[in-house]
Amino acid sequence: MIVCVAVVGQQNNPLYIQSFTEADDALKLHHIVHCSLDVVDERVNNPKKSGPMLNETFLGLLYPTENYKVYGFLTNTKVKFILVTTDLDVRDADVRNFFRKFHAAYVDAVSNPFHVPGKKITSKTFAERVSNIVKSFGMGSTG
Amino acid sequence: MVDPANTALGKMLTEEITPVVMVLRTSLVEETCQKNGLSFIKMLTPFSVFDNIDVPVRTASDQPYRLQKFKLRFFYASDIQKPNLQAAKERLEKVITEAGEKDTSDYCSELANVEKGLTISESELSPSWFQVFNKELAFTSSFSDHEAFDHPVACLLVVSSKDEEPVNKFVDLFNTNQLPSILSDGVMDPKVLKQYLLLHDNQDEMPDKASKILSEMKSTFGSSDCRLLCINSLQDGLLENENNPWSSYNLDASLAQHLGCFLSVDDIDEIKLLIQDLSAKHIIPHMEQKIRILNQQVSSTRKGFRNQIKNLWWRKGKEDAPDTPNGPVYTYNSIESQIRVLGDYAFMLRDYELALSNYRLISMDYKLDKAWKRYAGVQEMMGLTYFMLDHSRKEAEYCMENAFSTYLKVGAHGQQNSIRCGLWWAELLKARDQYKEAAIVYFRISSEDPLQSAVMLEQASYCYLLMEPPMFRKYGFHRVLSGDSYEKCDQVKHAIRTYRSALSVFKGSSWSLIRDHTHFQLGKWFASLGMFDAAIKHMLEILACEHQSKAVQELFLQDFILLVQKTGKTLEVWGLQLPIIKLSLLRVIFEDHRTYASPAAVGIRESLWRSLEEDMIPLLSTAKSNWLELQTKLVSKKHKESNICVAGEAIKVDIGFKNPLQIPISISNVSLICKHSASSDSTEVDELNSAANELSSVADGQIDEDLTKLISRDEGNAENYSFTLSEAEFSLSGGETLVVQLTVTPRVEGILNIVGVKWKLSGCVVGFQSFKIDHTKNTAAKGRIKHKLSPSDEMRFLVVKSLPRLEGFIHHFPTKSYHGELHRLVLELKNQSNFPVKNMKMKISHPRFLLVGDREVKNSESAACLIRGKSERSGVSVSSEEAASLFNFPEDSVIHGEEPLLWSLWLRAAVLGSISLCMTIYYELEDISTIMRYRILRMCYNLEVLPSIVVSFKISHCPLRLQEVLVCMNVVNKTSSESFQIHQLSAVGNQWELTMLQSMDIPLHSVTPGQSLSCFFKLENVRERLTSEDKVVLDGIRRSHVRLGTQGGKQELFDTISSLVADFHHQERFHQGMSDQGHPDAVDFVLIFQPHNKSQDQHLLEYSRLFTHHVCHCSVVSRSPIDWVMDGPQIIHHDFTMSFCKINLRMTIHNSLDAALSVHINTYDKTASSITSQSSDSTGITSENKTGWHDLSLANDVKQSSDILGSQFAKQVSPESVSPFIWSGSSSTSVDLGPLSTAEVPLQICMFAPGVYDISSYQLNWNLHVSNNQSPGTLSEQSLGTCAGSPFYLTVLQST
Repeated sequence: MIVCVAVVGQQNNPLYIQSFTEADDALKLHHIVHCSLDVVDERVNNPKKSGPMLNETFLGLLYPTENYKVYGFLTNTKVKFILVTTDLDVRDADVRNFFRKFHAAYVDAVSNPFHVPGKKITSKTFAERVSNIVKSFGMGSTG
Repeated sequence: MVDPANTALGKMLTEEITPVVMVLRTSLVEETCQKNGLSFIKMLTPFSVFDNIDVPVRTASDQPYRLQKFKLRFFYASDIQKPNLQAAKERLEKVITEAGEKDTSDYCSELANVEKGLTISESELSPSWFQVFNKELAFTSSFSDHEAFDHPVACLLVVSSKDEEPVNKFVDLFNTNQLPSILSDGVMDPKVLKQYLLLHDNQDEMPDKASKILSEMKSTFGSSDCRLLCINSLQDGLLENENNPWSSYNLDASLAQHLGCFLSVDDIDEIKLLIQDLSAKHIIPHMEQKIRILNQQVSSTRKGFRNQIKNLWWRKGKEDAPDTPNGPVYTYNSIESQIRVLGDYAFMLRDYELALSNYRLISMDYKLDKAWKRYAGVQEMMGLTYFMLDHSRKEAEYCMENAFSTYLKVGAHGQQNSIRCGLWWAELLKARDQYKEAAIVYFRISSEDPLQSAVMLEQASYCYLLMEPPMFRKYGFHRVLSGDSYEKCDQVKHAIRTYRSALSVFKGSSWSLIRDHTHFQLGKWFASLGMFDAAIKHMLEILACEHQSKAVQELFLQDFILLVQKTGKTLEVWGLQLPIIKLSLLRVIFEDHRTYASPAAVGIRESLWRSLEEDMIPLLSTAKSNWLELQTKLVSKKHKESNICVAGEAIKVDIGFKNPLQIPISISNVSLICKHSASSDSTEVDELNSAANELSSVADGQIDEDLTKLISRDEGNAENYSFTLSEAEFSLSGGETLVVQLTVTPRVEGILNIVGVKWKLSGCVVGFQSFKIDHTKNTAAKGRIKHKLSPSDEMRFLVVKSLPRLEGFIHHFPTKSYHGELHRLVLELKNQSNFPVKNMKMKISHPRFLLVGDREVKNSESAACLIRGKSERSGVSVSSEEAASLFNFPEDSVIHGEEPLLWSLWLRAAVLGSISLCMTIYYELEDISTIMRYRILRMCYNLEVLPSIVVSFKISHCPLRLQEVLVCMNVVNKTSSESFQIHQLSAVGNQWELTMLQSMDIPLHSVTPGQSLSCFFKLENVRERLTSEDKVVLDGIRRSHVRLGTQGGKQELFDTISSLVADFHHQERFHQGMSDQGHPDAVDFVLIFQPHNKSQDQHLLEYSRLFTHHVCHCSVVSRSPIDWVMDGPQIIHHDFTMSFCKINLRMTIHNSLDAALSVHINTYDKTASSITSQSSDSTGITSENKTGWHDLSLANDVKQSSDILGSQFAKQVSPESVSPFIWSGSSSTSVDLGPLSTAEVPLQICMFAPGVYDISSYQLNWNLHVSNNQSPGTLSEQSLGTCAGSPFYLTVLQST
């Protein structure tokens, strides 16, 4: 189950962060997402570690915490997407697929002429779309 | 690579893994030592560390080496057991608490920037008490039976010389069952090296006895193993040892001074010597010997191929053994234990190669035996040995990880060991700059125990900071985690410390949720410690948290208020963010010579006022001689730029307050902060400027001394006589923005500076905000400042002495009105001051709406004076269009004192929609000694005009008579609820006579909402018929009015010529037409109506409401200069069998021009083609004349039938190509017409068949005679034209 997704801007400022849990753990998830930026930075700054693919946007598993797995995705404009999930075995293909959809939704949201680049994404459509993507996550693997 | 021994771990290992000496002593020994405040062990401790012992060591190999560093650990026999966990916990807590107390000092210091602190090495960065804590933590797992390095190597038996039978005591000491369990239960060899020490107290003065006992001992235990130690040589105990060797071992500094106070330098030397001797001559050789023996044993049993096979086979057989957590029990003489002891002894003597080979040997065995704890212990030691050898790094790490996980696997027994192992592992990684891995290890150690995990997490956080490049976010996260753990075990001070350092990461980032939480926690903790200033500082950061949920905002605010209340004083905060001051909404309204009657007047653009006042205010050239002179005299150059205001008159400042939260907040005591300086010297101004500059720096957050003074002065002298301030109080609901008007009223002359605003939040927090922040914005908002003034100038006012000021007010000004409604209003002007004003003038922006009446005397009904004959117009007449809106009050109207001036005004809602009516009143001051000679009062009222009745007129010629015009009036009621009663219709002017076409059979001309009504009138121009005498007569008759309403038949008609209606009509004419002198034949209509009310009681009231509609410039004539009427019979009976029918017609032509015309009448016989072409032509020319008139009911029917007939007829006829009738006589007749004259032309027509004929197949060509004395220039209109014939229907019937 995905517990949190986030879009983080170039200046590492949160553009969109949404948790999908009932529990009141927003602060914790914020911290986790915030921390994972360190790992993103590390991967970006040490490209030799990040693997053979030069233009790979998918950053893979950023770091496993006690209960969560954090995946990252970096767009060409240095916008980061972070996914926090409680599933312990997640197929990379699923995650890639998720990020691809998420990225598309993000691109649509920021293409809105009323969106101010670098500001938080407040679009309801975007939120709805993201929650749909989140809901459908992992369905592909089971079905 | 740094030498492993010099790393933190290396140092730690050389200190921790050292031979243990078990100490057995009698109580008298302890007593002797306690004189110095020391226990026996403590007395020895400082001297048990050797940096340069320089002892040759030869272990298994034949190659000796020299040992430099050495350390002995002394423990009482009673302490050699597994430490009590509870006690250990308490000890740990004590360490932390003490460390926390020490750290308090730097709470208030500024936050060190983490990024700056990167250059500091680890030892500086992380607190020193980590070492102590880690040591204590590691100690909890000591004296375990699976490790041999904690097992005593030697035993020191100490007996005091005061003891009775000391020799027996020695024996007793070792034989009692007080011995530690390890020795008794066979874990280690009970035959340890024994050393005997006799302690003698020199204060007892019995050295002889001591030496006697020593010799006795020597004879009993052997001479080399017995020693004598004499202490307490000093009698007075006042030795102040400069560098007390014990002080560093004791945490309590106050006691440290008395430590060892009875020990002389000789005593200390003696102790030193004793331990050196013990180490070098006994312990180390003993260990060497043991290593050699054990090595030999191990080699014989385990080394070599045969032994290994045997061992493997033997182990295999034990596989069925139960899988107990501790594995099988190994006694000291088992080969496994011996190998372990061998390895540990070798490790302690720094022979790491030997140690490693033994550890490897045994590790395999333990694994096969499933003795997991022992296996883990060996793995741990292997890892450390690898590290000390600086061999394979991977091996070392692997071993440590293996050990760690194996300890965890063992369960509760391995818990403490796993922690120690983890600590070593982390140190090992740190020593190799693998900080990230170390951090993860620290994270793994953090167990359920909050205190321990807090420290571990904090250590992990430092690891992230030390990384290259540092991971600040992880650092922050781990510090927050650690802070939370600290809080759980009530270590608030530590929690604050960690959070504070974490804050440096989150500060300035946009991760507001995290940042707010950090600030909030810090605030709470500081408050719990009673450090309210720091707490408030943090709470302030989170007050304006828009992004948080409502509940959180409430919590934050509540806590903050509570906090402030706890401090017991009102808090003063610069730049308080609650509420937010919207500087963009800041507006300053002040009155110099321009004064405003109402806020609405302030909102009107300055340019509009200026255009209104243009011709009222004295011209600059005339004013220059004295006005500017005065100004230069009174105002220094500098002040000319500043705004002027008058003492006693309020300066209003509109300030926008925005509540960023979702919860309501209450604001009170809102007032401006002002500074007043009495003198107007330029030096003072400079000072002011500098003050302003200071203020702007204050706005940045530093509380300036001067300003606090200023504020305190403000508060101190509430009744400060130089100015008074207004106070406002309001509450803002969530997200609301409110614009509040604050005023400051200067009392005395001088210079007034508006500095900022202050307010009180929830009754306990005072916020200040300076206006000096963003000036580029508010200059745009303040339209009334002409020049670009410097920011400080904008808020600076030159206060001049009190001047008279007119106050104006219009009573009962309606906000809504129906279109056309007339209102009577009263303008009241007041002058509160004692100085009179004169030369008053008034100008109105919309004279179409407002007319100035006469001086108001008493109340009278609004419409009453409109009734004909009652109206008496005042002497003020409208002279010209330009001056229409300018009204000069009579010379004698001087206002002063209590007596107000009342003046009546008439309002007519002339145009639909919203409109702002502006009035400005100019007045001059009698007192000319001031800067201002005149002032202007600006008034503005907003009016919304609703649609009432829409009236339109259609005018057409009467086809029968030339002098008459038919008028169709269409009235539509556009209101939703109001019904109107039409009272009268008047044609303005004397030359018109208006009569109703139909008799009035509609009983009441009331128009209900949505209803439309048409009325027909006949309008006759009587001008030409009348002589001058007749005119006078007719004037009395007033035939130009038609009364339409029948209600109360006695109602009089309203006069539209000389009453007020005429004035409005004049305005309407001006606005509706291009010029006043329109066409002489244009007619203006005035429709007067009233709201309809059936109840007669309200007759009078309703009577006072009156509506007028003015429709001007309704043209009566066509553009063509000629009018004509065809006259002839309509129906003719003729017997066509006899002959064709000849009909005589008569055409009357009228020339309405002032010039002579010649008219040609061209007739032509109609053909099928010509009908269409002519008809299209005719519509083109005479369209204006005929529009909309065809729907006259009678004509309509006829035409329709005729069309049908005509078309049928044409169809019948056209194939035959015979025209239905022909004109007889000449086809062209010419007539000359004089100016305004009429001529008659006879025409004849011949018919051949019965039918209905449209006799319109003729044209009138007119030609202007230019030959007259009129110059051609005056004739702007065309000099010739063509008019097509108008339809004239003739029915010819077959007579029988």
